[in-house]
Amino acid sequence: MARKVAVVGTGQTRHGKRQDVSYPEMIREAVVAALEDAGLGWEHIDAVVCGSMPPPMEGTNAPHLWWADAMGAGGKPLLRVATCGTTGISIAHAAYYHVASGLFDVVLAVGAEKQYEGESQGTMTTVGEPFFQRQFVAGAPGVFAYQCNEYAHRYHLDEERVRAAAAEIAVRNHVDALDNPFAHLRQRITVEDVLRSRVLAYPIRLLDCCPASDGACAVIFAAGEVAPRITRTPAWVAGVGYAGEEHWVGDSDKVWWQSARQAALQAYRMAGITDPLEQLDVAELYNPFSFQELIFYELFGFCGPGEGCRLVEEGVVRRGGKLPCDPSGGVLCTNPIGATGLIRVAEAAMQVTGKAGAHQVEGARTALAHAIGGTQQINGVMILTSLD
Amino acid sequence: MEPRILKDTIALPYQWALGPVNTRFFQEFKERRIFGTRCPKCGRVLVPARAFCARCFVPLDEWVQVRDEGTIKTWTYVAYSYVGQPMQPPYVSALIQLDGADTAIPHLVAGFDLSNLEEVRARIRVGTRVRAVWREDTEGTILDIRYFEPV
Amino acid sequence: MPGKVAVVSWAQTEYREAHDATIREMVFRVAREALDRAGLTREELGTVITASSDYWQGISCSNEYYLDAAGGYLKSGAKAEEDGALAFMYAFMRVASGHFDTALVVAVTKGSEIPPLATLTHLYSEPFFQRPMGIDDVNAAAMQARLYMERYGATPEQFARVVVKNLGNARRNPLAFRKATLTVEEVLRSPVVADPLREPDVAPGADGACAVLLAGEETAKRLTDRPVWVRGVGWSVSSYYLGDRDLLDGSLPDAARRAYRMAGITDPRAEIRVAELCEAYSFQELLWCEQLGFCGPGEGARLLEEGVTAPDGDLPVNPSGGVLAGNPYCARGLVRIAEAAAQVAGRAGEHQVEGVRTALAHSYHGLAGQLHSVVILGR
Ligand SMILES: [Zn+2]
Repeated sequence: MARKVAVVGTGQTRHGKRQDVSYPEMIREAVVAALEDAGLGWEHIDAVVCGSMPPPMEGTNAPHLWWADAMGAGGKPLLRVATCGTTGISIAHAAYYHVASGLFDVVLAVGAEKQYEGESQGTMTTVGEPFFQRQFVAGAPGVFAYQCNEYAHRYHLDEERVRAAAAEIAVRNHVDALDNPFAHLRQRITVEDVLRSRVLAYPIRLLDCCPASDGACAVIFAAGEVAPRITRTPAWVAGVGYAGEEHWVGDSDKVWWQSARQAALQAYRMAGITDPLEQLDVAELYNPFSFQELIFYELFGFCGPGEGCRLVEEGVVRRGGKLPCDPSGGVLCTNPIGATGLIRVAEAAMQVTGKAGAHQVEGARTALAHAIGGTQQINGVMILTSLD
Repeated sequence: MEPRILKDTIALPYQWALGPVNTRFFQEFKERRIFGTRCPKCGRVLVPARAFCARCFVPLDEWVQVRDEGTIKTWTYVAYSYVGQPMQPPYVSALIQLDGADTAIPHLVAGFDLSNLEEVRARIRVGTRVRAVWREDTEGTILDIRYFEPV
Repeated sequence: MPGKVAVVSWAQTEYREAHDATIREMVFRVAREALDRAGLTREELGTVITASSDYWQGISCSNEYYLDAAGGYLKSGAKAEEDGALAFMYAFMRVASGHFDTALVVAVTKGSEIPPLATLTHLYSEPFFQRPMGIDDVNAAAMQARLYMERYGATPEQFARVVVKNLGNARRNPLAFRKATLTVEEVLRSPVVADPLREPDVAPGADGACAVLLAGEETAKRLTDRPVWVRGVGWSVSSYYLGDRDLLDGSLPDAARRAYRMAGITDPRAEIRVAELCEAYSFQELLWCEQLGFCGPGEGARLLEEGVTAPDGDLPVNPSGGVLAGNPYCARGLVRIAEAAAQVAGRAGEHQVEGVRTALAHSYHGLAGQLHSVVILGR
């Protein structure tokens, strides 16, 4: 029987353009907030895990070395994990295994990014190897636009219908972000605004696309024995899943995307989830591009293949619906990439412990957090629950 | 005080070895021949040719020539630009499954007016047949194919 | 309490100035070999943890380039950055948690394809204070060496003796890159890189990959007749700015204390039979020996001069030749662990130390040794 682990505190910076602070100062903000939320001092942290996107994005190699003091890591074990877009959830996974292994009782997880300090799309283009793929992979929008076009074709979906559903997701995320004090984009938009915004990489338009954000997130994980002494509202880690596939973007199916399926199924199996639509109360999906969310509904079993649009049209996935998705406003409104997956975990924990404030989903008990990365290559999932 | 910003540019040299498999692939490519390698276990022809099958975890050494024609598996019309972008937008980036291959490669689709998205949408879709347009003076890089054009 | 975990197999490439193969091909080779040696199929493998780094590869999200080559197709996994020894720590935790039965750890760097170590570690320096001063790994180590000389009276001759020993040891390691029969005088006549460090005092960049397979107790016993148990692990980081720390009193004692406590080691000099240390600069072997508690502060050179750390001594250090014999940067820490495991299993070949029951592997990265790790392996 594996050791139980819970999230006992979360902290986020205000996300957006954060040229008012240096990288370590920004990280400090999130860490202090998480410690305050958990009611813990620096001395209570046994080990630290951190991560961000590729170091060339901000121009400092092995940035964890620079961040160490801001995270209070001095004299403690520190591990940097970095797995592209899934980095944030990989940080959460690593912190989870630190505790689950029995080596540590309380572990601080930190994810951060300062996209305004470098060229993120230029850096992400270099995720492609230099011989065959780099020339053609146009940053993140180019890669994920592939997936969106293939999706509509696969299920013979009317392109206008898919575009409308995706636009509806964009609008919903923007509305939800207004209730999240940490969110980067905070503006009311309409479906018409989305459909009229300029094309970045067809079918992705400007308002279908996440912003580039600066921001940090910190989450504290604690062992089952100590968590109840730290907080009256632990968010238990019920499921963990992760899977990657080939480097070659054209080697595997990205519509019935096996790494996403496997990551979810691993987490569901561990959490005892057989009917996700019934058993999950909230999902924080990784949706840097509105269209992708439709695919995740299907891959995660919220509906059948090709049925994603219906969930949007029937209001199942909006606040007040059966399974609200991204009540935080999602990645679509806030994307400090190295923190983004960890923000999903933090938001999921906040939801199941009733700490989500204005964007709280009433009565949420079990929530799914998710992240993707690589050139459509990897997926990670974590499930949190307040049910003991 | 107004917070300040320090600006700098970092440019670093890299020199990646192609390795024996890529070297052979591009030697053939220079002669306008495209090769994959067939996996003895799963039977798939993986293009470009490679040293192992990641699923079956076995070395590959059966080289199989595939055609320079194929089918668009998916595509996008890239209209945005950024620092470090290898291509000048607008352009069509696509995953193309060559005849005889079980995998798709990313490349460009062009050879017609790319200035208008709606016209591009009218010309290509998932499933459109395309064929390679080779450079006159091939050099042994993936850009020896200038682009694929609709058949 | 963590579950029992053992190293069951490992594989290394040769370390060379340049390998013809791509990183993907090198990774596949060692991953496949480590699995084959244990008789484990890729399907049976539990999880894959790798180590590499983006600046050190010129391909961003460096692990996405080779995770399938490491056996990771549709498997849970992650990348620990910079140091393969930390990937080992993470893999250890995954198996110790009981969630995975086996974990493959792979680390890789091709020094031949990337800018020099000084260039890339110059970027370890943040842009405001250390970077404009030209601080990098080599000159930070040189400052550390100077302080070591001033405080304890250590001498360049002693540093040269480390070079002579380790490059001599490397002659018995078929995988080593730099091997030589040198004299102290020859080392001292070599060109200065950053005073007091001369060319042979600085580990040469190399291409290389290493894989280590871990397994939980029952599986380990099934996969090998000689499981090498992970008895202790510890790692620790110190302050970032060089001026904020005592360069001779960093985080290594803390990392060692953690590993020793877990392994129940109270007298490391007596209880550890062989050590593989990350001496990226010759003098660091002396300093690390002190910080690992093999001797008192300033006594590292005496240990060397008395022959304690020689291959036939009481506590041989770097019988493989160590990092001075080849520095495949992100892989160097995992190589130390593989070498230590080989010693415990009695499979180190020509450079086997007699009667090894307990071995120590050490690694670090960061200027002047900011983040250290220690692993204790035993029968
Ligand atoms: Zn195969």
